[in-house]
Amino acid sequence: MSDELDKLLARLKEIQAEGSQEINQAVNKEKLNDIRVKFMGRKGKLTEILHSMKDVAPENRRTLGQQVNSLRDKFQASLDQANQDLTHKLIEQRLEEEKLDVTLPGREPLMGSKHVLRIMEDDLEKFFIGMGYQVVQGPEIETDHYCFEMMNLPKDHPARDMQATFWIDDEHLLRTQTSGDQARVLEKHDCSQGPLKMVGPGKVYRRDDDDATHSHQFMQMEGLVVDKHVTMGDLKGTLEMIAKHVFGSTETRLRPSYFPFTEPSVEMDVRCFNCGGKGCPICKYEGWIEVLGAGMVHPNVLENAGIDSNVYGGFAFGVGLDRFAILKYSIDDIRDFYTNDIRFLTQFRQEED
Amino acid sequence: MLISYNWLQDFLKLDIEPAVLAEKITRTGVEIPTTDHPMDGLKKLVVGHVLTCEKVEGTHLHKCQVEVGEDEPIQIVCGAPNVASSQDVIVALHGARIAGNEKIKRGKIRGIESNGMICGLQEIGFPDKLVPAKYLHGIFVFPADSEVEPGQDVYHALGMDDYIFDFDITPNRADTLSMEGAAYEVGAIIDQKPKIEQIVLKEDGPAWTDSLKVEVDPKLAPKYYLRKLTGVKITESPLWLQTRLWNAGIRPVNNVVDATNYAMLLTGQPLHAYDAKTFADGKLAVRKAQAGEKLELLNEKELDLDAQDIVIANGKQAVGLAGVMGGLHSEVTDETTDVLLEAAVFDPALVRKTALRHANRTDASARFEKGLNWDNVQKGIDIAAMLMRNHAQATVDEGLLKASDEQRQPVVVKTTVSHINHVLGTKLSGEAVVNIFDRLGFGHELADDDLTITVPNRRWDIEIPADLIEEVGRLYGYDNLESTQPLLPETHGGYSERETKIRRLRKLVEGQGLNETINYTLTAPKAAKLFTKSDHRLVKVSWPMNSGRSALRQSLMIGLLEAVSYNFTHQQDQLTMFEQGRVYNLDNGKYNELEHLAAIYTGTAANHNWQKQDQPIDFYWVKGQLTALLAAVGLTDLTFKAAVIPGMHPTRTAAVYAGERYLGFVGMLAPILAVKNKNLQGHDMYGYELNLEALLPLMTTGVKNEPAPKYPGMERDISLLIDKGITNAQVVDCIKENGGKYLQDVQVMDVYDGMQIEHGKKSLSYRLLFLNKEATLTEDVVNKAIAKIDTALFDQLEAKIR
Ligand SMILES: [Zn+2]
Repeated sequence: MSDELDKLLARLKEIQAEGSQEINQAVNKEKLNDIRVKFMGRKGKLTEILHSMKDVAPENRRTLGQQVNSLRDKFQASLDQANQDLTHKLIEQRLEEEKLDVTLPGREPLMGSKHVLRIMEDDLEKFFIGMGYQVVQGPEIETDHYCFEMMNLPKDHPARDMQATFWIDDEHLLRTQTSGDQARVLEKHDCSQGPLKMVGPGKVYRRDDDDATHSHQFMQMEGLVVDKHVTMGDLKGTLEMIAKHVFGSTETRLRPSYFPFTEPSVEMDVRCFNCGGKGCPICKYEGWIEVLGAGMVHPNVLENAGIDSNVYGGFAFGVGLDRFAILKYSIDDIRDFYTNDIRFLTQFRQEED
Repeated sequence: MLISYNWLQDFLKLDIEPAVLAEKITRTGVEIPTTDHPMDGLKKLVVGHVLTCEKVEGTHLHKCQVEVGEDEPIQIVCGAPNVASSQDVIVALHGARIAGNEKIKRGKIRGIESNGMICGLQEIGFPDKLVPAKYLHGIFVFPADSEVEPGQDVYHALGMDDYIFDFDITPNRADTLSMEGAAYEVGAIIDQKPKIEQIVLKEDGPAWTDSLKVEVDPKLAPKYYLRKLTGVKITESPLWLQTRLWNAGIRPVNNVVDATNYAMLLTGQPLHAYDAKTFADGKLAVRKAQAGEKLELLNEKELDLDAQDIVIANGKQAVGLAGVMGGLHSEVTDETTDVLLEAAVFDPALVRKTALRHANRTDASARFEKGLNWDNVQKGIDIAAMLMRNHAQATVDEGLLKASDEQRQPVVVKTTVSHINHVLGTKLSGEAVVNIFDRLGFGHELADDDLTITVPNRRWDIEIPADLIEEVGRLYGYDNLESTQPLLPETHGGYSERETKIRRLRKLVEGQGLNETINYTLTAPKAAKLFTKSDHRLVKVSWPMNSGRSALRQSLMIGLLEAVSYNFTHQQDQLTMFEQGRVYNLDNGKYNELEHLAAIYTGTAANHNWQKQDQPIDFYWVKGQLTALLAAVGLTDLTFKAAVIPGMHPTRTAAVYAGERYLGFVGMLAPILAVKNKNLQGHDMYGYELNLEALLPLMTTGVKNEPAPKYPGMERDISLLIDKGITNAQVVDCIKENGGKYLQDVQVMDVYDGMQIEHGKKSLSYRLLFLNKEATLTEDVVNKAIAKIDTALFDQLEAKIR
């Protein structure tokens, strides 16, 4: 009877070899399932062996049973392993299929940008607002009265020639300076209620042929402080702060100058930041760069606005925003501001706040 | 004005480096942007004496033996037509450097040895405009009286060792438009009293003043002085005088003209010399021009005179334009023997207007306009006469004819030391302040705090206390002012509400990917009227630079279009740009400035990408951007109506309304624009323009929290077939009117009018969103609403529900 056992054990060995080989060679889960059915199913080869148990001597049946169960466990383990391996393989395959060339460029949305003159304007406004200044706007179509006469520039004053004017009719003009805002604000301000501190930015116009350094339209910012105790030292300190804020420059000088609406009048130069004062094309070999005009408000301007110049006084200054931007960003043609080449416009994005 | 350092030495003892002095003057008085040292860069230029000069046959050249202070004369070949023996000339020796850093070497010209070069003034750096006419096309020859020795450097003799300060004079400091004025100014700066010499003129001719009947309106000429000089012999001026003139930027002409120019430079008083023959009829008048009167000026310009022009006339006609320029026919010529010399003060405003009117501003007119020192009129005329006496063999006839002679009293200004300190922020003592006025040569009186300053007539710019403060401030030195910050009561800085709203809009638009531009206000009149819905009168400038910039824009779009066109010509065609600024018009005699916001789009809705996900910009993209922008500032209930606006595509443009209020338009720019401007061809452009004056008041400023709904909503889709002519707005309005109170939103899902659809019809699909914020919606409620909508769509719009 042990012959029968030996035969079945030999058969079991064959099944083991056959099964292992098939599992190893299986390429997908369907195949693995077929193998499971073929060997372990209700009509599978291991079940067949168990059916043959009746031919085996009863004392050997236990041995055979153990052998079959052990092989079933082995097969199950191998199948599980194979299944897992296949899953991993599938995932890997899928991931490989999903592979992107990460070096290809991304889709960029359109990015907006601020005009460089606006950057200049906004920056200065913020600077002055921080010091308690109001931002004021006035008309560009200005009257002779506010643009000139209130500013101590009566008709036929030779200094009117300093500013070639676009006239609209006998009384109206395109403002040549933002100073008209000063007059309007002074007229409205009640000095007894506290100090006046304002800046007035805006477009101004001069009758000039456009070239690299001249533009018939440009932008200015006017500043005005009026109260009982405002000194020229205060003006100097304020101007130095502006220079430092905009140009990071610390060396400045004040020169006597002339504006009809201030007395004394000064212009401020900063040390050429390009050459440090040795002389270069940017400073026209002067070592200094003129950046703004200023002065103590002329008593006539105060009186014209109904303010008692014996009690109140103050300072005023005017900066050219185009000029500031030209100097700060080494722009060599003022027309660039107004022709709006998209490449010119967008390069200043990083300067925005 | 060009101020010579060497000439200043006549008045002041200058032991200070010219560059240092220039910086000091700049910081204290008058800006000196540049200082010129004419001999800079020149080398080995000496005086040569031409011993012999022989023509080289068959050429224009001369072979010269020239004594240059060496053992032997040197041989130089010279091509100038005016070279001759016994001349003293400028020689560039071997190794010399002349203008333009050019090096001179010995060599051979046409095979003849040449050991240097005889120079003209231009060759050593003089600009053409300063070279006396007779030397303009040849070498310079030292005048006989020059006292130059062969071999010595030429620089001193020609004034080239000088330092020339370019005084950039502001209109108020015309007092420094003379050497004496400059000397006073520099003297005050360096604390020296300038040496101003008075002169006594010898008159050795007969008395002449009765021989001329002079009529002067003192309103036109408060001072009018004349002198007569006879026996004048016109020649070239002595070299020292010529060098002073050319260093001051004035070309030497002859000994009479040069005398008047020199006297003007010295004293600031303009002078004019007439050929005395002009007034042979014994009459001279200073009067206003008469109607139809004509005058030919020295520069051969023919003028039709205006009744406001002041002229100098003889018995018959105008012979000169007072204070501006003499007439051609009264000019001093080489044949002139008798000269009438004029020194006057003319009305500044009238001179200014005349010079402007005839576009003929001169050195003299600029001086009359800016004012003169009334105390220097006689000195001016006497100096000129003396120079003619000394250098033109003139006899000065006895008598100074003062046809008008108004006096000006020195101005007295009162202020206090404490006021000066208060304005400057200084703590100067009365003594220190007085010292400054002393340096200026002003009269001063100090009583405690009270200061009385008497201003000499040479400083006619000083009238009020503020002017005195400036004098103290600048001479004390702005460098010495302490930098402080205003110590004032707290003020609150910031923008107005209007400004804040405008800034918010700009920021939002920038966030939508648009690039800000700033365009010109002035444009062509036709262009200025484009892109506006209603017709307004244009604002125009009366004297434009050119017709393309003569009218103020009525839209921002016109500027954006110009910017886009500029970019197209520079190969940039992916453009999304905006501008926020003003437009202008004239309504009922009132000038209006309206804040606008406009955007222009051309190209694709995203940057180019390799995945082809950069769809071209179209109407609905731009409309979407505009809608989102307005929604962001609280405007969600907008109406878009098809509109025709000049410059915009007539069937692809909508007017945008908030309620009844017209805000602006959105659409495609008219293709016809590309017919006129070829740069625009092949580009589709879209855009919008908003009138912020209408929009700003509608912008919401305060938000109240509305809790997010807690109950679920319900969506229903409906599709309908409808006449093609019916708009989406009509359908949506109908749905909303009939959708009941729980209908929250209506979204267009699909629009189709292709092949599958009956001709003249289109298919529309909508998604309807229902929501009850208080409770969960029931099917029944929504079904009823949908049924009502369906019926209304059928009844009102003949829509077939599908
Ligand atoms: Zn520099």
